[in-house]
Amino acid sequence: MVAVKLIPQLISWFGIVLVLLRGFPGLRSVVTTTSISGFAIGVSGAFFMFRSLPAAIPFGAVKSALGVSFLLLWGISVAAIYRSTGRRVTISSGARLVNTSIGAGTGAVLAGIITGLVCACRISGTDGNFPKLLFLVLIAGILTVIALAVEKRLPASLTVSPSGMLTAVVALLLFCSSSSLRLDLFSPLSMKVMKGVHDFVHQFMESVLIPDHLFVRSVVWGYIGLLFGKEVGFWGGMIIWFTPAILIALAINFQRLPSVAHIRQGARRRKLLADAIRNKRMLLITPLFSLAIFAAAAYQSSFPSVEYWDPKPEPVTASPSGEIFIPKKGEINLEDGKLHKYLFKQEGKEARFFVLLSPAGQLTVDLDACAICKPDGYGQAEGSVICYYCKTLIPLDTVGKPGGCNPVPIQFTEKADGVAIDGMTLLNAWSSTVRATARVKEGGK
Amino acid sequence: MKRLLQTILTAASSRALPPLVVGFFFLVYIGIAFFTNETLITLMAFTRNSLILDGILALIPLNSALRILQETCWHLKKRRVLNGKTSDVKPALFDESVELTAAPSFSDLQSRLGAVGYKTRRSENAVTAWRGASIFPARILFLAGTFCLFTGILISITTRTSHRQMVVEGEPLPVPEGIGGRVERITLANSSGPILRKTLTMEVAPSSSGYGKRVFGIYPPSMYGGSFVYPRYLGLALLLRFSAPDLPAGIEKHSILNCYPPGKEASEEIPGSPYRIVFSIPEPVAGSDRYISYMTGNVTLKFKLLKGKEVLFSGSAPGGGEFVRDGYRLAFPDIRRLVVTDYIGDYGVFFIWVAALLFIGAGCIWLPVRLFFPRREMLFRYDQGVATACSLAEGGARTHAGVFHEMLDMIDARRGEASVV
Repeated sequence: MVAVKLIPQLISWFGIVLVLLRGFPGLRSVVTTTSISGFAIGVSGAFFMFRSLPAAIPFGAVKSALGVSFLLLWGISVAAIYRSTGRRVTISSGARLVNTSIGAGTGAVLAGIITGLVCACRISGTDGNFPKLLFLVLIAGILTVIALAVEKRLPASLTVSPSGMLTAVVALLLFCSSSSLRLDLFSPLSMKVMKGVHDFVHQFMESVLIPDHLFVRSVVWGYIGLLFGKEVGFWGGMIIWFTPAILIALAINFQRLPSVAHIRQGARRRKLLADAIRNKRMLLITPLFSLAIFAAAAYQSSFPSVEYWDPKPEPVTASPSGEIFIPKKGEINLEDGKLHKYLFKQEGKEARFFVLLSPAGQLTVDLDACAICKPDGYGQAEGSVICYYCKTLIPLDTVGKPGGCNPVPIQFTEKADGVAIDGMTLLNAWSSTVRATARVKEGGK
Repeated sequence: MKRLLQTILTAASSRALPPLVVGFFFLVYIGIAFFTNETLITLMAFTRNSLILDGILALIPLNSALRILQETCWHLKKRRVLNGKTSDVKPALFDESVELTAAPSFSDLQSRLGAVGYKTRRSENAVTAWRGASIFPARILFLAGTFCLFTGILISITTRTSHRQMVVEGEPLPVPEGIGGRVERITLANSSGPILRKTLTMEVAPSSSGYGKRVFGIYPPSMYGGSFVYPRYLGLALLLRFSAPDLPAGIEKHSILNCYPPGKEASEEIPGSPYRIVFSIPEPVAGSDRYISYMTGNVTLKFKLLKGKEVLFSGSAPGGGEFVRDGYRLAFPDIRRLVVTDYIGDYGVFFIWVAALLFIGAGCIWLPVRLFFPRREMLFRYDQGVATACSLAEGGARTHAGVFHEMLDMIDARRGEASVV
């Protein structure tokens, strides 16, 4: 059962070991030993962290480690393209270190630790037990041995550059973490990109004093509006997601062919150049394969295989004094711990909100939207609600608190038999916060 | 000391510096994103208040300026070598450089290079061959654009000031440093331009403080008293008279209503009373311009009168008209056009505009040149029994290298072994 749940992670682990072995061809024993040791350290580290710390901390730590590895890949990819396009750039001492046994061992142990942590997060969470984790390390060990055997049968011409190896390892790490909502990086990245692009475009327009939308033709504003749309987060995230692998592929492609001007035999020159071109093509396989892995991770992140509690919003009306009253008991039990959605319409305006009993036993009333994302609403999973737009998980005990991607809280009065909400307050809150995140529909900044 | 200066100069003019600086700011941005959702604004505020961050950002324009100088020097040196004005051939100026102990036949080289499409120039002891156009002008424009862009950003972030004022028709123009001339007319009209659908002009009479008659448009914004006049939103300046059964004396007050586009609500408190009036502009009839009331000046205001949270009644009245019900009276004796205007003190904007033009220019040169006419150059020189051959290609390098190797073979065929550099 554990192995079935971990199929993506175990495939990733197999791929990581295979790539590391091919990337350090003369250091197979070092790579094998350190990678499986790293994996075991990662699994046991996760076990102790989940036992001794609140679950948010280990998840946060693993997610940060994944984020750092992605940033490192970005840095390496920029350096690689810089080296390949510049003249007379020598190999740095850092690049030389990679090919030593210390470099190989460090890389393999780090990859092992992170993969071990991700696998342990996937199966255990807070209720993991030791035999399960021991079984996991055993399977990882078997896969390492299989990878060792498979690697020996791969064609010798299939070489991997250090930057290509890093791309593949990071791609596989992100792929294996993307099936866990709390470790996934792509969806939060998309959300941050959307916010960043919105802010940047807004600031840019203010900086160069571009007139407001009322003065600009709607066709022109339509194009500007694309930058404020929901899709900009997804496509911007895709660009950031894939760019490092593309840059590394380009860096390999732009590598200067060896200088053969000093060779006076044409056939020898051509042979040298043909060998160099063939070698470049082989080096390109790993980053191109990594692109496919990145795509699979983005897909898995965008279409997670989890079902959420998401009831259809119940229409509600306000009394003549403008008060919306929702009884605690009746067809719907507000205190059952589930999220209950409502829709309030008045004079052509509408607002969607929900009522939820927090784990601390407090009722909370919130807009079915946050102040950052487009108002796609929330669904409830175990212990959290999820923003459908950016896939951010909000722990249930923080619902009702403002900020970030949390649902926007609404003032209400709790009575003995129900909750009372001011209709005008609700509509104003929807207008002032949610409409600001849906600028495209409004055609404004 | 000289060595230290040289090291600093090399670092400051390195191609790696701009990506490093951008990467640094990107990391700071990511760090800030953990703590606030207003990441960009916070980063801008940090940069505005931190000399260190300003200094780091200033490295990019410094780097661009140094690279312009450095690359111009390289280009001129290369030109001098190719023109035969100097015999000091530095291999660093070319992609490949080879020395052969053979005496080349310059006329054979010239005819062969001419046959494969190269233009040639022959001097006493050298042959130069080239084809295509250099991307050097595009590169310089790009570097100048980068210089202007980051200088503009730096100036803008560190010195920008912004004052929001209400420009009301018939009233003196409010400016940050005092009072300007009277706003004679505000005109909103349809435009036939490809980008703007409306034009807005604010005509201002000469002021006592020395400013002549001015007309302000939308874009590019004009300057007045050292600040850009940046019209933002449209509104109305209303003279409101209100009386109620429990407020028989009534009140008269001037109100600023930020109520465009039609449907947008602007609320006005009646001071010292529980009353509040919510104004809006009704949507015009289908087919009419949404801003027709602003354009013509025939404004009808919709309103809701609230006492506390209770809506007493709603209605509408035209400018100059009044509304009376149940002892309540609302009159709108004067409604004038208003433009919510920002006065922006920011000279960085000029640099950003210039940068945009330079980038467009660089792109327009670079793309066709790089795709269709990339520069390829060769130099063959014979001095003191040694033939020096140099090659450079900005594009089409593989074909160019083939021709270069063929020329080397031709030279070598005349003597035999080549010495390798």
